[in-house]
Amino acid sequence: MKISRTFAALLLALTLLAAAPAAALAQTAQPSGIPAHPRELKYTPLNYAPPKRDKYRHVLSNGVVVYAVEDHDLPLVNISTLVRTGSYLDPAGKEGLAALVGSQMRAGGTQKMTAEQFDEAADFLAAQISSGVSSTQGNANLNLLAKDVDKGLALYFDMLRTPAFQEDRLKLAKSQILQAMERRNDNTSGIEAREWNRLLYGAEHFSTKETTKASVESITRQDLVDFHQKYFQPGGFIIAASGDFKTDELLAKLEAAFKGWPANKAAVPDVPKPTQVPVAGIYTVNKPDVNQGRVSIGHTGSMRGNPDSYALEIMNDILGGGGFTSRIMSRVRSDEGLAYSAGSSYGMGVYYPGTFRASFQSKSASTSQAIQIVLDEIGRIRTSKVSDEELQTAKNSAIETFPRIFSTAALVAGTFAQDEYTKRPADYWDTYRQRVAAVTADDVQRVAQKYLDPSKLVILVVGNIDDITKGNPDHPEYSLTKIAATGQIRRIPLPDPLTMTYPPAP
Amino acid sequence: MRRFTLALLALFLCAAGARAQNVPVQEVVLDNGLRVLMVPRKGDPNIAAGWITRTGSVNERPGITGLSHLFEHMMFKGTRTIGTKDIEANLKLLKEMDDVRAQMRAEDKELIRRARVGEIDDPKDPKNRSDNYRQLLARFDELTKREKELMVKDEFDRVYTTAGASGMNAGTSNDFTVYFLNVPANKLELWFWMESDRLLNPVFREFYSERDVVHEERRLRTDSTPTGKFDEQFDALFWMSSPYGWPVVGWPSDLEAITREEALDYFAVNYAPNNLTACLVGDFEPAQATALAKKYFGRLPRGPREPEPVRTQEMKQLAEQRMIAYAETSPQVRVRYHTQADGHPDDFVLSVLGDILSGRTGRLYKSLVLQQEVANNASANQNGNKYEGYFELRGTAKPGKTPEEVEQALYREIEKLQKELVPAEELQKIKNQSSADQFRGLQSNFGLMVQLLLRDANRSWSSINTDPARVQAVTAEDIRRVANKYFTPENRTVAIYRTKAAAGGDAEDATLAGLSDQEKEQVRRLRAALPQMKAEQVRAILQQVEQMGASAPADKQKGLQVVKKMLEDRLKQLEGGTK
Repeated sequence: MKISRTFAALLLALTLLAAAPAAALAQTAQPSGIPAHPRELKYTPLNYAPPKRDKYRHVLSNGVVVYAVEDHDLPLVNISTLVRTGSYLDPAGKEGLAALVGSQMRAGGTQKMTAEQFDEAADFLAAQISSGVSSTQGNANLNLLAKDVDKGLALYFDMLRTPAFQEDRLKLAKSQILQAMERRNDNTSGIEAREWNRLLYGAEHFSTKETTKASVESITRQDLVDFHQKYFQPGGFIIAASGDFKTDELLAKLEAAFKGWPANKAAVPDVPKPTQVPVAGIYTVNKPDVNQGRVSIGHTGSMRGNPDSYALEIMNDILGGGGFTSRIMSRVRSDEGLAYSAGSSYGMGVYYPGTFRASFQSKSASTSQAIQIVLDEIGRIRTSKVSDEELQTAKNSAIETFPRIFSTAALVAGTFAQDEYTKRPADYWDTYRQRVAAVTADDVQRVAQKYLDPSKLVILVVGNIDDITKGNPDHPEYSLTKIAATGQIRRIPLPDPLTMTYPPAP
Repeated sequence: MRRFTLALLALFLCAAGARAQNVPVQEVVLDNGLRVLMVPRKGDPNIAAGWITRTGSVNERPGITGLSHLFEHMMFKGTRTIGTKDIEANLKLLKEMDDVRAQMRAEDKELIRRARVGEIDDPKDPKNRSDNYRQLLARFDELTKREKELMVKDEFDRVYTTAGASGMNAGTSNDFTVYFLNVPANKLELWFWMESDRLLNPVFREFYSERDVVHEERRLRTDSTPTGKFDEQFDALFWMSSPYGWPVVGWPSDLEAITREEALDYFAVNYAPNNLTACLVGDFEPAQATALAKKYFGRLPRGPREPEPVRTQEMKQLAEQRMIAYAETSPQVRVRYHTQADGHPDDFVLSVLGDILSGRTGRLYKSLVLQQEVANNASANQNGNKYEGYFELRGTAKPGKTPEEVEQALYREIEKLQKELVPAEELQKIKNQSSADQFRGLQSNFGLMVQLLLRDANRSWSSINTDPARVQAVTAEDIRRVANKYFTPENRTVAIYRTKAAAGGDAEDATLAGLSDQEKEQVRRLRAALPQMKAEQVRAILQQVEQMGASAPADKQKGLQVVKKMLEDRLKQLEGGTK
């Protein structure tokens, strides 16, 4: 669980003090002129308007969209290209192909240069060039000194357009992947993430399709060439550029770089939605050599564009997303000392529903107690209204931290490029703070009741299951068996790491 | 670390210095010795703000290891004003809690003594506690409940969060403890109020439950990761006398025994203003910030005495040291040499040498990974801490190769550096990268703020402007000289990691079902050793097992079958599987 809060935002006009509950303390300024409590501090209003997308948006003659944001503080240039592709396009039996295309574009040389020549040229220029393909996006990045931008762009476009996918580098990458694959069952955090996704999205959804020894070994250089040819086409590019350049000059350089590369607009298939309905209950994975249980609790979440998303964001912030001021952190960590990190997130998926997930790690003996606390908090936020103070903390935080979203030129360009890639409404940021400010305690309770369902919770526990089941002899009231409504606990065996076949559960 | 890993900080430290870049830092030193660094930058309506104390685990001693880090956690527990409904009742209660804890410690000491002489097995087992101990525990639970009633829960976080502060966090390392966040540009005074208050009037509430949180942090980072425990042992082995040998998170026996009184003593010296530097980077007026610094930080009284530098120096290592660990990880090797501290002339040379060896065009990748195909990954770097430094090389063996083969290949690269001068172009490449990295390190206000604080804690913030020239001045002769000076067999400590098969899962236990305990143990050992075996070794053992199978009694057949299957599977894997 990351402690960093989901991006939040701010209301300028509303200063904290005006919103804070009326202080019981009178003004008690000390002789030094230092107020007795920070609530007595006065702040000048901060006026902030988010940048406008259209101001930075340009379209090249081949249709490629470029967001260009100048920043002359440092002599650096950043260029990032988003590509409409993803590992969801891996053919069955070739799991791992898209990721290999991503890594080998950069590692495998180009038609003009061997991999060794390309690496030496990039390193001598001190240019950072990278490429990758994640589950629903491809990307290629360039960061270098502004004085070298022409040489850097030449390398960058060479990589983007005519990667060679050199055989020896592919062989090495496969060897590294297979070596890491053998270690799949070592780390409880990795096991937890994998099994959580399988429980929520099912073994058939692309997001849980794991690479296997057979799938990786079956991938050939030609597969990489074909995948690249099919999806790395300018028709699917969105570029974010920021740094020390003049926009018209940069656009001219990009036009020149695309020259002779036709923009193929072939449609890319949609990202598939999962068909699995998660089955509520307790699931365990046994790792006897660790002394801490890792726990995830949750169910299917929601999607972007849901009008309740603002209320959901505030609800989750109060429940477990807001770090130290959230309920789960406060109860599990600071009240009871049962965990180092604890919290929750409410996933708003772009292509299919995200997941609601509360998680923490606690020593084996107290794992059940911490689960019970989290379940109690999920229940409480549904049955009773949040306090004014909690609501104000969460809303103010979202509103006041809003400018952080656009705090650098790279973030302005990158955010707008991502928004275009994910087809976010153009007025999203303009209205964000108003919509957050409008959320009421009733809204929070309503969305908690609508979008949190205790009867649907999946509870995954990874750790020393014997010790976790024994619990704490001083607190026999907390036990996994008691938490399981039907008393049933399903054990998930560890799969063979190379074939991902699961032995039958005992 | 309260909420983030320190690797991040290390990154900030690495990305330093630019050839032509001069970071315009305005420095103000208050009468009490506190130094304030300011870099105003327009743009984002936000300020990255933080302060650092030159206090880390090296300032501890046996018995209080982990205190610096525990202390960092306590700094978020509020003050005489923040976090309480009634400060007088609160302080009285804390005193009572400490008294009860002191009596509990007396009981603990007796239990530990009894365990030492073998009268009891486990001093922590509740059944060994005396009646008095049980009463004390009940009393303490009662006091804890009353403490909660008096608290305004997490008020310190709430004040900041409501004001739009973000990224509030802190980190403890061997050498320093740093506290930081981002505040909206109009909330600068709030930062001064809150930080000076927690330095002037801290109240360590929830001290004992926070110790449990730190225990969980230790379990998370050290105990429950595949190599955490072994990495800790490697540090302890490498450092003979220096305090870098104990972990920042502390030894568990110390963590359990540290008292609030010890924390307060530590605070008085180490958190005095003459041991602190504060830094602001972002959208503010330096004149206003200076006035606020005087008003708020000026309240802090200078410490009772100047903090002492660490006294205990590392002894010269006289003989090679080696440890062999069986862990759930790929077979790998780490080789560490004692070198020099941050800022020593050789520190710069060794950093450049590390860069020559590392990265996509580094010598280790080109030689060990691409040409010799002995390793799948390899890298090296100099690590200059404040008082001592070391250079480390590491590599992961390619399947079928051993960590020892990687180790020997690493030594051959070192020998080349000891004999031959690095070509000019190769050296220039590193210097080019260093120049560009200086600018990259300045891209974020937050990164620059942390970097200035870390530099000021070790040497001086001004090293951000002077170090780049020292990197550019490194020569090929310098590199050959340091390679000969530090990379000697008697100056190194080596960790070999062999793969222990992943334990756990219910399936694995099923394969052992029906075997005697002795057989189970033999199977486990074989499983641990298999990943290091080469095909011919596996084949030879398999042959033996088959011969034994022909003449073994019926009750041994099952065990032999299990072993045979493991060997066959491994052989298939080694020979490529598909036939």
